Amino acid sequence: MVAFILRRLWQMIPTLAGVILLVFFLFNWVGGDPAMVLAGKVADPATVENIRRQLGVDQPYWYQLLIFVKQVFTFDFGRSWSTNEEVSNVILTRIGPTLTIMVPVMVIGTTLAVLFAILVAYVRGTLTDRVVMITTTAAMSVSFLVYIIVFQWLFGFRLGIFPVQGWTDEFWTNLTRYAPLPIILAVIVGLAPELRLYRSFFLEELNHDYVRTARAKGLSERRVLLRHVLRNALIPILTNIGIYLPGLFVGSFLLEVFFAIPGLGREIIGAVNRSDFPVIKAVTVYLAMFTMVVNLVVDVAYRFADPRVTFK
Amino acid sequence: MPASLFPPLRGACLAFVLAALAGPAALAPAQAQGTGQKVVRMAFRAVETGFDPQRVDDLYSSAVNGEIFESLLQFDYLARPVRLTPLVAESVPEPQEGGLVYTFRVKPGIFFADDPAFKGQKRELVAADVAYALKRLRDPSIRSPYSWLVDKRIVGLDEAHDLAVKTGRFDYDASIAGLAVLDRYTLRIRLKSPDFNFLYIFTMPQTAPVAREVMEAYAADTMAHPVGTGPFRLAQWVRRSKIVLVRNPGFRGDTLDTRFADPSDPVDQAIVRDLAGKRLPQLDRVEIYPIEEEQPRFLAFMNGEHDLLQETPATFINQVLPEGRLAPALEKAGVRFQREVAPSITYDLFQMENPVVGGYTPAQVALRRAMVLGHDRGAQIAIIGRGVDVPAQSPVPPGVVGYDKDFRSGPLQDYDPARAKALLDLYGFADRDGDGFRERPDGSPLVIDYMHSTGGQSARAVAELWEKSMRRIGIRLVPRGVQFSDQLRDRKAGKFMLGGAAWAADYPDAQNFLQLLYGPFSGDSNDSRFKLPEYDRLYEKALSMPDSPERTALYREMNRLVLAYAPWRLGTYRSYVHLYWPWVLGYKKHPMYHTSLKYIDIDLAAQKAGAKP
Repeated sequence: MVAFILRRLWQMIPTLAGVILLVFFLFNWVGGDPAMVLAGKVADPATVENIRRQLGVDQPYWYQLLIFVKQVFTFDFGRSWSTNEEVSNVILTRIGPTLTIMVPVMVIGTTLAVLFAILVAYVRGTLTDRVVMITTTAAMSVSFLVYIIVFQWLFGFRLGIFPVQGWTDEFWTNLTRYAPLPIILAVIVGLAPELRLYRSFFLEELNHDYVRTARAKGLSERRVLLRHVLRNALIPILTNIGIYLPGLFVGSFLLEVFFAIPGLGREIIGAVNRSDFPVIKAVTVYLAMFTMVVNLVVDVAYRFADPRVTFK
Repeated sequence: MPASLFPPLRGACLAFVLAALAGPAALAPAQAQGTGQKVVRMAFRAVETGFDPQRVDDLYSSAVNGEIFESLLQFDYLARPVRLTPLVAESVPEPQEGGLVYTFRVKPGIFFADDPAFKGQKRELVAADVAYALKRLRDPSIRSPYSWLVDKRIVGLDEAHDLAVKTGRFDYDASIAGLAVLDRYTLRIRLKSPDFNFLYIFTMPQTAPVAREVMEAYAADTMAHPVGTGPFRLAQWVRRSKIVLVRNPGFRGDTLDTRFADPSDPVDQAIVRDLAGKRLPQLDRVEIYPIEEEQPRFLAFMNGEHDLLQETPATFINQVLPEGRLAPALEKAGVRFQREVAPSITYDLFQMENPVVGGYTPAQVALRRAMVLGHDRGAQIAIIGRGVDVPAQSPVPPGVVGYDKDFRSGPLQDYDPARAKALLDLYGFADRDGDGFRERPDGSPLVIDYMHSTGGQSARAVAELWEKSMRRIGIRLVPRGVQFSDQLRDRKAGKFMLGGAAWAADYPDAQNFLQLLYGPFSGDSNDSRFKLPEYDRLYEKALSMPDSPERTALYREMNRLVLAYAPWRLGTYRSYVHLYWPWVLGYKKHPMYHTSLKYIDIDLAAQKAGAKP
């Protein structure tokens, strides 16, 4: 296993190099000119040139790329070009609100989706199954934005159950007062596609011979489902969770904007609009690293979910 | 998943919400605050960047700076048209030597808010602090977006800037001829050329004096450590989420100047009744929440989570003010509103050096005029702007010195597609190949590139309306959406034909708007690169004159030239509706300030009782 992990870590280097090159070239070819934004509404060429010089964007591309690589290895991306805030501080202070929303969404959403999926799979073909499938199809066809607008109006304004928006610097206040509505929204929106996906995993497992054997041995349905089917369906579920896990750290931009949550998603969009390259660079690189690490962890987790899996 | 990807869906949802809002049950009771403190909560429609007065240029950061820092001068809270009065200066200085010299005397006994940077000592505001702030505007390392306020104006300051560019360090200790600190409280500023509008810049937070030791102590992040002499101080800042101001305990206190209150204006009279004789500020705490989206901003006010809603989103205007009157449910709840035609204009500018749409020959002018006449501005105001904005009549909006309320653009800017077509026919812009679109008089294709920002829905809608309007008169117009920063870049570089723009007054004089068409400012503020010697001559002449009927006559003549040569399609004077609950006292939106929190009071009893519709 150690050799497998080392090999995978080694393979991350060219992937990271690719990410660095892609971000760098995208910013320089497609991105806007940050100096124009920073120069203000009356910008003479000398002012713009001075800003370019200070930001270092007047340097040759190879030199700028070198600095980028150095920043990646020192984990020091400097300061935001637009607010002068340290990029490390940007990430550290915005990640908390994002995770306050997204971790419960992930945990509650996955738990509910797995639970409902296994139940629906168990009653496949029945009226209940059909109603659930039709409902989830309808739910998936409505935009996330519609849910946000309606839920915010209904539960925040009309019924007054939750505040329309807000955030504090106290974790428990946020979790119990400001986060519930965004969490409920995201869970409900995410439930339909996850339920359908996991249902298909369980159905596939339910059709295998080992299920019939287990039932023939006289095991209870509960034991068959939870001990055998669930365990075997865990690999594709883990894969799916692995795919979505990096998204936890970016959060949902729409939720953060509509509920005025000072999270990372909102920050990233702001950084892109302002051509704030240090923030964009840092978030992209950290996210790429995290994705690679999550993939590795998920691969290792396969082994524990299914002992037949071997590391090669 | 950017919100802008779903405009039709979003519109439908908003319509649903609005329909529901129409019922009185939709109005929730206001939340009683019950803390015994006078607190105002409100939203900003965009996020702030920071609170270093010389470093920021966004409206919202500047508004907060205006509450923390104090400039030398201010505009009186009640006077309309606006009127200059002293703030930390003893008086409004008279121009000396024909507008070349201004001498300020700072009021003794004004102190900065306490801060560790002062090492336990009380720190008095002195003239050197004003000079220091002005120098910071030209320090290249500060990258001040408002350096243009003093650029090429103060004797010796540009040289100090140039030296700093060479050496990499601005020498704040070196004497500058144009910034002479005569004694502890007196600063004499000498200009390179006469300027009778110069005093206006001293009403802006960007020129507010700052303490050098504070800036040096927090050099790494001056944006997060504002220390001023103003009525409030920054108590908490959760970036992009929450700004909390609390009353500055060291503030000397102020009272409402009632001399300029309009006796016929009920708002003014209510303010006088509510605030006269009170020591200001009355508020203990102000909470500001940057909320970019319209719905939560609006609902937070309707819910009573916020006390004040400035710039009510256009989406909700028809529900708030159906047929121009406050909705009955809101009226019953005691909600009050103010309309404001802001000193701000939107326009579309032609690139005058462009071979297709630019130029000054009769045919080139005719093309622009025809496009102006063919553009359905009324539809833009009615559909996109929900009928709130006012059609612009000249480049100079109401509320600024030099605005002529009787000036009308008339047949030169009014929508008239028949005249537009006739004009195009007359000058040979005809459809020669029968494809439904006109060609240029020499037979070459006539294709207009319309540059707009991809940042918002309204910019795209405006571009689509332009395309539709031009198609009606046989002109092919192709909208081109670009990022905001690229839009700025291309405008400065002259790489466009036609594009949308807006300008809000930095100071309330027509010159601030007319400079946008002054030839020598081409590529700086004159993005259309309009260069007309006659216009430039009038501009220069007006610049050397104080406010007078003669100068206003010059402005009028410049307006006429703009209409005649059509470098701009005049858009609208931006208008806003501001809402506030009945417990908010003293509120009057000032045209030059986004907030004036010093003058707001809270009726705690009314707030506690709440207002139920």
